[in-house]
Amino acid sequence: MKKQIFCVLWVILLISWVGSVTTFAADEIVLGIPTSIYTPFGKENIKAVQLAVEEINSKGGVKVGDKAYKLKVQIADTRGGEPTTPVHDALMAYEKLITEHKPHAIVVGAFRSEVLIAAMDIVAKYKIPHLGTIAQTPKFQAQFQTDPQKYKYLFRVTTDAAIDAMYANAMLDKLKKDFNLNKAYFIYQDTLWAKAFAGLMSKHVKETGWEELGFDGYAAGATDFSPALQKIKEQKAQVIGMVWDVPLGAGIFTKQYASMKVPALLFAGLVPPIGAPQAPKTIGPAVEYSLNLEFPVGSSLPLKKLPKTVEFLENFKKKFGDLPEAPAVNSSAYDSVYILKEAIEKANSLNADDIVAALEKTDYKGVSGRIRFDKNHTAIFGLENPNETGVCVVFQWQKDEKGNLVRVPVFPEFLAEGKVILPPWMK
Amino acid sequence: MSLLIYGLIQSVTLALYAVGFSLVYGVSGIANFSHGAIYILSGYLIWAGLNLFNLPYALSFVIAIFLTSLLGFSLYWLLLYRVRGIPLAELVVTFASGVAILELMTWAGFSGIRYSLPPVVFGSLEFLGISLDYQRLMVLGTGIFLVVGLYLFVHHTKIGLAFRAMAQSERTALSIGIESDWVGSLSMALGSAVSAVSAVAILPLGIMEPTIGYEVLIYALAVAIVGGLESTPGMVAGGFVTGYGQLVTAKLFGPKWMIIVPLLIIILVLAIRPSGIFGKMKELEERV
Repeated sequence: MKKQIFCVLWVILLISWVGSVTTFAADEIVLGIPTSIYTPFGKENIKAVQLAVEEINSKGGVKVGDKAYKLKVQIADTRGGEPTTPVHDALMAYEKLITEHKPHAIVVGAFRSEVLIAAMDIVAKYKIPHLGTIAQTPKFQAQFQTDPQKYKYLFRVTTDAAIDAMYANAMLDKLKKDFNLNKAYFIYQDTLWAKAFAGLMSKHVKETGWEELGFDGYAAGATDFSPALQKIKEQKAQVIGMVWDVPLGAGIFTKQYASMKVPALLFAGLVPPIGAPQAPKTIGPAVEYSLNLEFPVGSSLPLKKLPKTVEFLENFKKKFGDLPEAPAVNSSAYDSVYILKEAIEKANSLNADDIVAALEKTDYKGVSGRIRFDKNHTAIFGLENPNETGVCVVFQWQKDEKGNLVRVPVFPEFLAEGKVILPPWMK
Repeated sequence: MSLLIYGLIQSVTLALYAVGFSLVYGVSGIANFSHGAIYILSGYLIWAGLNLFNLPYALSFVIAIFLTSLLGFSLYWLLLYRVRGIPLAELVVTFASGVAILELMTWAGFSGIRYSLPPVVFGSLEFLGISLDYQRLMVLGTGIFLVVGLYLFVHHTKIGLAFRAMAQSERTALSIGIESDWVGSLSMALGSAVSAVSAVAILPLGIMEPTIGYEVLIYALAVAIVGGLESTPGMVAGGFVTGYGQLVTAKLFGPKWMIIVPLLIIILVLAIRPSGIFGKMKELEERV
């Protein structure tokens, strides 16, 4: 009997070992995605990558020399988007993906900025091209600068908090100029990227004649925002600048903002439940008038003036049944696969150093605009021209002629399809 | 004034998190660590009734209560029955069941913006210059309803009296013919039903995530430890101490410190008075 039990255990062990060691076919390029797969960002970024992979594979794959390689995706859940997950656990998932599946490149990458910064050393150790598209902290560039040779495998294909803030600040300038608004209150999630983003907005308003009535950080797991919302009412703030990506807190904030009838214009630097296409159903009519920054363009809002955003999102909807939930970074995930394909084909090699050299010369016109990398391997974004840089957009929930709530791009001017409307209680 | 009103709502919310947990522990001595998972599961069941089967809110709610009660009842007979009387094993079993439920929900993709319950009651009122939505008033009403309802139940019904007998002395209850496993399983069913009632009052205030289950468990523990694990008045007191503690902390030190208040309270109470404010269980040992 003991012998039989031993044999069974041995077979189970053997099966587990064989299962854990992935071999990839010789004609496959493996893309690793270590991210927080159950957050809206992780979930939708994975779909965007899958869409790009399917398109590329259906057109013959990636050509290296005479050979055409099919792309294959391997996913690992870091759970980095959950407030209770320690950075160390997320890193273990990162390293496990790399050692088990031996990806040729990593796309999407860390959800939480803290995880990205910590994972930079792991990526450098295993020398794998890494095209990050979610985490937004500007500390990426600072860390990169400490040893550019070591960190050369890491690229950021999306915006960072400084770019997000650049757009948000320009929008605040517009609100001040057009409507003479000058009292702002900021609420942010106490994490690296959100603090950096809100901090840049705070600095800007202080320098440009606004009165800053509050700058409140809440822990990522917060479930009650009434202290800040009550202060906003009492102090008669005109604009609430809110930066929050963890869905739970964002959802609670949004509903609490609506139920407390806070008479201020909500400007969501990022509050996914308000910016999402599904917001009128999830949150209700209270989303009307809220302004939302979508970074970069094409993440969830089709823009008439940028046909590639329409095409990408139509294909996304066709394949997955609905537009992406999260109003950010999905187009970057899609573009990153094409950027990688182009780099591999230019390098004509699957060697990581060759791919990195080709990535550094990237000049790709994608959904999110024209993508080139600066000396910190960060995609260049600007405020003026999608033919020169990547771009973002600010939209406002407004009612159309039929009374349906729709998202109207209002800034920058070259993307605008309508004008900002102040809520009746502010006129 | 707003601090008072919103503090009251926050306190009742926290007490509602704890009421099911406290009930089960008070009656059967089982620390039901799957409490948070059952709470959020009931929210998803209501969501499914509304969105997948297009049922009316009330019917979805009744079905969710029935299913969560059945789950609590089944958990007892399928898992807890075998380890009954071994507190550590009971704790491991309930915790593992809770984790399994939450991880299954996560794995099945029940996270994201679309999982949100609409308010049961729409609209709001202005009260002394404070806007208060009806859903938050419903939280208050639910808190009062559950506390009064549970009081009447355990004092004026046969099963409730059996619950009390069990809570006072399991052996004596057995000697007068009260079957302890039957009462234990009923307490698990009732505790789960109470969680579902709390969920329908609280969850429409935000969106749903499986991780809420962990959070609810931590809050329930904090509130129950402060008030006394088995005490209903203690649970209300625990809710108030934690709720107002959070708001005062936000006011004095900034909102980002709110989240550590329940954890600090747990440490403080365990260090100073392990039985909690109204708890009796360890009182004798404390005196010794």
